[in-house]
Amino acid sequence: MTTLTRRDMLRAGFTTAVVVGTSAAVAPIVLADPQARAAAEPPAPAAPSAGPGGFDEIYRGRRIQGGPTAPVRYAAARTGAAAAPAAGPGVEITIDGRPLHVMRRADGTYLSLVNHYQSFPTPLEVARAAVDEIGTAQLSTASFHHH
Amino acid sequence: MHTRKNHKDLTREERARFVGAVLEVKRRGVYDEFVRLHGRYFVSDGEGGQRVGHMSPSFFPWHRQYLLEFERELQKVDPSVSLPYWDWTTDQSTTSSLWGDDFLGGNGRPGDHQVMTGPFAFQGGNWPITVGVTEEKYLMRDFGRPADPVALPTPQQLARAVDDPVYDSAPWDSTATTAGFRNKLEGWTVGEKEGWHNHNRVHLWVGGQMTGGTSPNDPVFWLHHTFIDLVWARWQRKHPGAGYQPRRPLPAGDPQHGRVISLDEPMSPWNVRPSELLDHTRFYHYA
Repeated sequence: MTTLTRRDMLRAGFTTAVVVGTSAAVAPIVLADPQARAAAEPPAPAAPSAGPGGFDEIYRGRRIQGGPTAPVRYAAARTGAAAAPAAGPGVEITIDGRPLHVMRRADGTYLSLVNHYQSFPTPLEVARAAVDEIGTAQLSTASFHHH
Repeated sequence: MHTRKNHKDLTREERARFVGAVLEVKRRGVYDEFVRLHGRYFVSDGEGGQRVGHMSPSFFPWHRQYLLEFERELQKVDPSVSLPYWDWTTDQSTTSSLWGDDFLGGNGRPGDHQVMTGPFAFQGGNWPITVGVTEEKYLMRDFGRPADPVALPTPQQLARAVDDPVYDSAPWDSTATTAGFRNKLEGWTVGEKEGWHNHNRVHLWVGGQMTGGTSPNDPVFWLHHTFIDLVWARWQRKHPGAGYQPRRPLPAGDPQHGRVISLDEPMSPWNVRPSELLDHTRFYHYA
């Protein structure tokens, strides 16, 4: 069965990240509240893109892209329960175009739906850690985290 | 009133009954609702909104109620069943009966980390992963995470949390400035080289679904959290003068106002207050 050794093969084959540029039109967005985003975001480049603090690279055969986004009422949109004004993680990340749900910790680090019990200093590190964990699997597009 | 036991003390029949009830709750579609609920209530402390389940004082009572709700579903199937626990400080072998073919099954295989043994292996047909972070439909484990090794917590690491006489403290979150038992046991770490303690570390050690936002997909989740629940009871016994904090709602000027649950505030989604859950002997005993 070919999947048996897929991560081993990936790890052997793609040990270096390759930057592929910043201009590509990309991918769906992680956010749950398009109205809030439209209101808050400058009409600039399609997100996520490799602007300041952004990245767009091939890591272990997966295209990971990330870029900053404007704060939105993120947790409230997700849980339907929160009362306080909610800030989002400030970043959106995709793996092969599929959104990786990312959260921010109070110390400024990032965790994702893939790595939920550990956090990472930067968006790039949380994206790479997710690829390390999922190997060749595709992120699910079904959302249970924000409705 | 029922008794929760170390899984090692279950009889062969008790093991079979537990597994059978879990599979039936899954078959009824109820199990996946528990998976979704846990994910929905994972709110991180760097974002707004109320944190009821994680990175906050109500980590213990929220999970106590969550376990009670699940245990009641098991008991609807088989009234003799209760949640067993896994003491990961002493029961660390990958060949423990915990991972036996008649109980939770073993480690994932190399490569795709698919669990191939036991009642929860995909090919058995009873345990499809339907609420997943990825599209893979099979249960995965990766004991010890060989690509980036992590060890199970030691008795000393657990004791470091249990010995703390303070339940929790401002700023009531996951950061290093939050002193107390709850933060040490939940195991978020800031500025410590080895990283990730106790509760979090066990999630990382098991690997697969346990590392992610759908961790209850692995039935070991329940045995892990039942032990966490027992540790809370041990902490209470060790520090009889201490108690749940914060005792009162935080004032409007507090940055955590409205974001953490004090002793008598209701916890979503059950509207149960921590104060109603402090004494577990109202519901069950630990053997």
